[in-house]
Amino acid sequence: MFRKTFNNLPRLSQLYAVPARLQNTQAAQAPTPAEPEDIDVIEQRILKHPDYFQVNNLFTVRDLFNARVHYGHKEGSLDDRMRPYIYGSRLGHLIFDLDKTASHLRDALNFAAHIAFRDGIILFFNRNAINAHLVEKKAMEAGEFSHTRFWRGGIFTNANVQFDAVTRLPDLCIFLNTQNNVMAQHTAVRDSAKMAIPTIGIVDSNCNPNLITYPVPGNDDSPAAVELYCNLFKEAIWRGKRKRRELLGLPPLDETQFKSSRSRSSKGKSG
Amino acid sequence: MAQSRLEKIGTIFTRVQGLLRGGAMKAEDKPIWYDVYAAFPPKLEPRFDRPASNEPVRNIFYAEDVVRAKLHKQNKSHETISLFDHKRRTQSQEFVQIYDQLKSQGALDEQRIYETALDLLAEQRQKSQPEAVEEQLQLEDPNRSTLLSDFQEADHQKRQQQQEQQQKSQQSKSSKVKQQGVNISSLFKD
Repeated sequence: MFRKTFNNLPRLSQLYAVPARLQNTQAAQAPTPAEPEDIDVIEQRILKHPDYFQVNNLFTVRDLFNARVHYGHKEGSLDDRMRPYIYGSRLGHLIFDLDKTASHLRDALNFAAHIAFRDGIILFFNRNAINAHLVEKKAMEAGEFSHTRFWRGGIFTNANVQFDAVTRLPDLCIFLNTQNNVMAQHTAVRDSAKMAIPTIGIVDSNCNPNLITYPVPGNDDSPAAVELYCNLFKEAIWRGKRKRRELLGLPPLDETQFKSSRSRSSKGKSG
Repeated sequence: MAQSRLEKIGTIFTRVQGLLRGGAMKAEDKPIWYDVYAAFPPKLEPRFDRPASNEPVRNIFYAEDVVRAKLHKQNKSHETISLFDHKRRTQSQEFVQIYDQLKSQGALDEQRIYETALDLLAEQRQKSQPEAVEEQLQLEDPNRSTLLSDFQEADHQKRQQQQEQQQKSQQSKSSKVKQQGVNISSLFKD
């Protein structure tokens, strides 16, 4: 596996799903006359800003409350590692402390925006059948990828053999729920940690947040809550992408094309 | 590429840091998230063996829970609640509001406040219900035909027909009886 930065030429790593992305990044590397400074310098400069993409104003605690993010599972299924994020128990049902959730979510959104700015590949995960289609759709709208089905072991750890080519793995995994079912954790959480891929994960009161790089305590079952997370991450990712194209002096992408596109192939052409 | 797959040791950041420091990974091969992570580290290190805390989970209770529990224990609620309707207040919420108002006025003891609040709630409900029924009646257009009204009409017509038939048959019967009676009388005459 090769994970090269985009300054590296010749680039050996290859995308397994969208070859158009490779062309995109190469186009970005080409020095354009409008480019004021090197992208490396810009990247280092914006890291000094505490909230460059203004992800703070994306949501309020009231929005989280209205989307039912504060509902946890029942007290018996509590994972001890989630105790610091719990506000209390209302007649046996756990309630999350939304102030803590909000600050964790802002960290996660900021990280996602920075990865999108650096032209990273972002992969959305979800194993809840109710929300699977929603997540796939929102990932497509964000111009990114999703995996909502059964996880074959070795997709990350044995990628070069499984895909029969040198494979570029995603640069960020966003888990909209981290459980495979009520008993077991998603294998990709462990595999991402193995392959040194940072993860953002919505962890409910019965999940283990330890291996998740940026855990966000909150309800991962309600469609309203999952829709809110998807919209927030989508917007954060778009802010990163827009800023990149703006600073590189490239024309902005047509975001409506991502919404209307039905198939991967048409999306690949558009972006 | 040099890599450590031991996810149970350290964090993804410390493992990559070690590789970079030792020279196993070149600076240009550095993953793109590395600088972002260094600039915005997570609140807690994502270590596999991070110990679990054992803070107790506190119970959430409100002052009005006592009287609310009493209300639901002593009265059976037959209310239908729409979870999508955020504007309409439930009977329980109305009751607690009335109860708090009465309590802030002082004067009465708790049992009396409870009983008065129940009475006021019942009054309020009665006041609000006839209005709703009237509104519905006003909304209904007498000329508009619905499936129900069609059925009712058809039923009505059917009944009328049946009644007419019954009347006819009764009349015919009585006339027969009359005729028979006439015959009998005529027979007697003969």
